[in-house]
Amino acid sequence: MRRTIVIASALLLLTLLGIAWWESRGIKPVALTPSLTGQVEFCLTCHADLPEISKSHPIETFGCVSCHAGERLALDAELAHSTMRGGKNPADFTVVEASCGGTDCHSGTEAIQRDHIQRATTSIQATYAGAIATIRFTYGAQPDLTARLGTTAIQDNQSTSGITRLAAFDPLQESNPAVQSFGQNCLICHLSSAPAETGSRYDHFTGCAACHTPTQAADLTSIDTSTSTRVHQLTTAISYTQCDACHNRGNYDLRTMTFQPRQDNPTDRLHDYYQPIAQFTKCEYTLDCIDCHTRTEAMGDGNLYSSKFDIEYIRCKTCHGTLTELPKILTLTDSNDIAFRQALLNPVVTLQPGVSVLVTEKGEPLWNTRLLLDGTYELIGKSTGQVFKFKPVINSSCEQDPEEQGSADCHKCHAVKR
Amino acid sequence: MSDPHLSRRDFLKLTRTVLLTASGVLGLGGLIRFLSYQSQAPAQTEFDLSQASDYAPDSRTVLPDVPALLVRTETGFSATSLVCTHLGCTVGSTPEGFVCPCHGSRFDSQGKVIRGPAATPLVLLKVKTTEDGKLLLFTN
Repeated sequence: MRRTIVIASALLLLTLLGIAWWESRGIKPVALTPSLTGQVEFCLTCHADLPEISKSHPIETFGCVSCHAGERLALDAELAHSTMRGGKNPADFTVVEASCGGTDCHSGTEAIQRDHIQRATTSIQATYAGAIATIRFTYGAQPDLTARLGTTAIQDNQSTSGITRLAAFDPLQESNPAVQSFGQNCLICHLSSAPAETGSRYDHFTGCAACHTPTQAADLTSIDTSTSTRVHQLTTAISYTQCDACHNRGNYDLRTMTFQPRQDNPTDRLHDYYQPIAQFTKCEYTLDCIDCHTRTEAMGDGNLYSSKFDIEYIRCKTCHGTLTELPKILTLTDSNDIAFRQALLNPVVTLQPGVSVLVTEKGEPLWNTRLLLDGTYELIGKSTGQVFKFKPVINSSCEQDPEEQGSADCHKCHAVKR
Repeated sequence: MSDPHLSRRDFLKLTRTVLLTASGVLGLGGLIRFLSYQSQAPAQTEFDLSQASDYAPDSRTVLPDVPALLVRTETGFSATSLVCTHLGCTVGSTPEGFVCPCHGSRFDSQGKVIRGPAATPLVLLKVKTTEDGKLLLFTN
């Protein structure tokens, strides 16, 4: 009996020593207490090597959990990741409100220009309502081009465009085979659509991250399609290659309602655009898309629209004016002007009160431009930092009709030979 | 005179006692460690800034551990929290006031908002000089 007790005692001690040894070998948690939440999280135990996602979201302020969710105290990867929002992408539109929303963050009011989520989710890039309406109208499924359906059902009672709701487009509910095919084969290019293949030249995230998280090198010749280039980054310096992940992939064959990926492999930007007959001015192929197109054009203005043409308004004359008018100028005096915030987020230019910048017909400051003392203008590339100088049309030999300002009109004289 | 050789019974008894005592100590230590485990240490709310005389008159000292800006003037000490009232980033101190590097909020030298998105002023912190000349700062 005594011997049994001794053996049991020895086994108990051995077991306890074993547990202590096992514990000492375990992962030592790396604690971080973000100032925003005040709650410790152990994510950096494994993820200390991740680069900070942006200057506006410093790790010591935001931590990881306020955006990604997850089990903040778990040291087991599976458990820690089990409740993450949106997998690796908390900016997917299905979870974006919980991840990025809040009145101080990205779902504030229009008045404080923090209604990003509301604008993006109702934008034409998210609803794809224009393409759906066009195809359904073409094949007789609806009597006009007014949008009725979107990629998902959405209601916006504040919309001033005349459209306050879109029902979800369901190809299976369509009677026309062409519209059905469109739904099955061509709905691959909106902000909630997954990319055809990750790591490719057309790789992108969904939701806000489709644009704001780079998946492509900023220049065509540096794109490496052999590996995934998804990085932990949020940026407003979006290169044209990122836009091209959706906007330069190939053609829709309207006879078969299938998407035909491009087969060529261009090596310079002028020949990169998939439409072989397309024309470009120098601006169009040397600037990045966001150098001209504004946040409102890209992300919407909060209204539901039937066509991208309802929200695109930048034209050549926005920067160059007409034969009779100089382009519109705004002198920045209000320190709360959105221009200063935009320049802070993408500091390719240092804006000071008193500087005069070009402004769109809707009053949006083109904060990366400025009027120079000699009456010419300067544009600083938002992604490249490259400086472009340009002149107004007035007093030039341009033969434009001020009322004809579409790109096709200007291409008549200014297209670069491809 | 006792027998210098330990009997088998006493040896087993001694061994048992040692093993059980060691197990008890180890187990108790583990239990105490388990019960006293804190994933998060309570936030520090009081900071010892050493001697008040260490800070020159008309000086401005950034205290990164708080974070705060300690100002000594002719009338005494004052401290302003450097935690931005928008989302909690650490604001930078400039000759004109304070600037948040995250979202661009600006505050004047008194901590009042000049430019958003912050809507409320920076928090003024309590500073106390003890009888023996030590300077204490409180964040709560």
